[in-house]
Amino acid sequence: MERSTLGTRQVSIEFPGVKALSNVDFEVSTGEIRAVVGANGAGKSTLMKVLAGANPEYTGDVLLNGKPIELRTPLAAKRIGVQIVYQEVDTALIPTFSVAENVMLNDTVVNQKGVAMNWRRMYREAQKVLDRLHITVSPRRLVQDLTLAEKQMVLIARAVQSQCSFLILDEPTAPLSETETSRLFELVNHLKANENIAIVFISHRINEIIQICDRYTVMRNGEVVDTSPVTKDTTTREIVEKMLGRSFEENFPKEVVPIGDKVFEVDSLVSDDGKVQGVSLYARRGEIVGIAGLVGAGKSELCKTLFGAAKVHSGAINLKNKKLRMTNPSHAVKSGIALVPEERRKEGVLVNENVAFNLSISSLSKYCKGPFMHKPAIKVNALKQVEDLGIVTPHVQQYVKNLSGGNQQKVSIGKWLATDCSVYIFDEPTKGVDVGAKREIFHLINDIAKQGNAVIYASCENSEILSITDRVYVMFDGRVMAELATKDTSEDEIMHYAVGGQSPQVREEHP
Amino acid sequence: MTSLQGIKKQRVGRFLLDWAAVLTLLLCFVVFTLVKGKAFMSESNMINILRAMSITTVFGIAMTVTMATDGFDMSACTLASCSAYVFVSMYLWYGLSLGMSIVVSVLVTLVMYQLTMFLILVCKIPDMLATASLMFVHQGLGQWYIGGGAVSTGMRLPNGNPPVRTALSPAFSAIGRAPLIIIIMLACVLLVYIFLEHTKYGRYMYAIGGNKQAAKLSGINVKGYRYMAGMITAVFIAVGGIMVASRGSSAQVMNSDGYFMQSLAAVFIGRTVGGAEKPNALGTLVGAMLVSTLENGLTILAVPYYMLPAVKGGVLALALIAAYATKKEQ
Repeated sequence: MERSTLGTRQVSIEFPGVKALSNVDFEVSTGEIRAVVGANGAGKSTLMKVLAGANPEYTGDVLLNGKPIELRTPLAAKRIGVQIVYQEVDTALIPTFSVAENVMLNDTVVNQKGVAMNWRRMYREAQKVLDRLHITVSPRRLVQDLTLAEKQMVLIARAVQSQCSFLILDEPTAPLSETETSRLFELVNHLKANENIAIVFISHRINEIIQICDRYTVMRNGEVVDTSPVTKDTTTREIVEKMLGRSFEENFPKEVVPIGDKVFEVDSLVSDDGKVQGVSLYARRGEIVGIAGLVGAGKSELCKTLFGAAKVHSGAINLKNKKLRMTNPSHAVKSGIALVPEERRKEGVLVNENVAFNLSISSLSKYCKGPFMHKPAIKVNALKQVEDLGIVTPHVQQYVKNLSGGNQQKVSIGKWLATDCSVYIFDEPTKGVDVGAKREIFHLINDIAKQGNAVIYASCENSEILSITDRVYVMFDGRVMAELATKDTSEDEIMHYAVGGQSPQVREEHP
Repeated sequence: MTSLQGIKKQRVGRFLLDWAAVLTLLLCFVVFTLVKGKAFMSESNMINILRAMSITTVFGIAMTVTMATDGFDMSACTLASCSAYVFVSMYLWYGLSLGMSIVVSVLVTLVMYQLTMFLILVCKIPDMLATASLMFVHQGLGQWYIGGGAVSTGMRLPNGNPPVRTALSPAFSAIGRAPLIIIIMLACVLLVYIFLEHTKYGRYMYAIGGNKQAAKLSGINVKGYRYMAGMITAVFIAVGGIMVASRGSSAQVMNSDGYFMQSLAAVFIGRTVGGAEKPNALGTLVGAMLVSTLENGLTILAVPYYMLPAVKGGVLALALIAAYATKKEQ
């Protein structure tokens, strides 16, 4: 079979203020399975989008068989045989259509002649593709009835049905169970053996990469730092070290706070949606407890479950030795738990209300006379919070949508400060916040701990976890893989567990 | 300089849009007065307008509360017809006092609203679809109760028994006449204005309407307050139904159903008043006044009555343009 290659030469992409890719040289050839690994924000997805024609603003060259080509539209990429399957499979599927219609969607749009649908041909062709790939899903089933893994298979079938030489799978295994993953791997191996396709495989699960890939490319801060073959001797540790490099991490001042009794205890918590799989943890007065893990490890889901915003399937949550009945967030708030959610604008603040109202919304009863709001009291509280938190706003009547990201986050935190909460949960509080505001938010969190509250701090930025927390739980796949004392751990160790690494004892048992 | 002028221009545009409803209303008064003089601008005609708008306003107020929580009730006015059947039948058929008839009508409306809340809050059916199906339920149930015909003086019960009362008292009729009908309207507007703007419950409802997820994660009991909003809506629906019955001196079949579209128009016009961007009581009052003034003025101008819906629809469309066309993508 003739091999073809797709690659980039000195490709860079700059977004305002960030260099997402800088001078990337990358090449993949048909017949191989290539892994692309890197921490969050390393530029993996950006590079893949360039290859898929979805990032037209690149500088440098995209090479097909060594010759530069223009690849500025998704259509141009499809024409040379690049197909990409994104992680959010539902965005690419039409749920009310049958499997066959979804598999043949590109074909119908491009090749359908005349007005009448040729149903017989469609089902015949779809069945052919599914047979070729050994996919056993019936072409007549509706896509909305399929499992996630089956939907992915349908998308891969669609990709292969079209002209396909380069198949990019963006974190395909993140939502899959082990059996589903192994079925996907069979399919990928089958493609490699029989279809003369290059498969680019993005994953955070290093053990899977070692299992299935021929070579791996490591990216860091928008650069390709290494490409090596996967051999018998390749270890998770080795890859993780390359992912992290020896980059200098900025330190934030961790204040020493005396740690008191256990106030918050969680016992084998399982969430209804299965994203939290038996998590046990505790937090003490004055303590900042980190929840580390990669995107999709279940941190946000854990935070929401602790706050009653996601349904609990089983397990217990105890606050000050009292079992909590957590059915919705208003119970949590009454019991004394506060959450600063990840999606600030969607979940944390009311953008169309003013600063004063946002700062009092969770404690409004305090500023009321009977059922009536006492506006001066609300204003006094708002002015105090604005000063304490250093919120930059012309006046407290300003709509929150007009504040900067960091100031919105301070409002999102500030609304809890007037409540009598004793457990504060932060979910990625520094996301989209500049360095200066980040530092202020850290001071704020330190202050909350200093007042004798327990803080739970979830973040995928391990440097933040290391600088602000006392103890860390590392999550992977909805489970806690390890509990570590922050002062005795390192970024390497956290990353090791975050990608599903076993603890050392277990590793020795299974060399 | 040019940017400064640009900003000024923007500000003027914004101001005109925010106060478009009020300006249109003033314009209507000026134009109708200029053309028709005393026939329009007289004390008795002003009272006509206030009386005509009062029922629309009360239904609009009912919808304002539910829409503050981002809810919607298409069945508000079909339910009001049922409230009217209950009200008049209690009074005429069973001889209850006027006060008791009102109480029973409100209670029955509240009970029937449990079904609305069940479909929306428990079964999680989108508001629009749930209440669309309930329109038919209300119409069918209501007419089954009154035996398919109107409830009015001198008519027998569906089972053939004679009614206890054979005439309406002056107090009954007063509810539907000026000045009481106008006072009731103003009281409803004032109550809901205070509730939505000055109590924490009202603010919670607006928070829910603004962003359900954020409200929930701030510790607001979203379902609880949506339920509360529904119950308040039900009370105003019943009040509206009673006003319709009193004004018509009977409960005609589906006599309230026709108020739905213009009440909705009032709420949507009201949303834009003063740049509130939320359904609000005072805005609804302005909206209802605009619709009624137009109707009144055009009738005096001898525009054929069958043209009026087109004018009302046009005003609603303009209000919606003011509300949506200028909206920035978020």
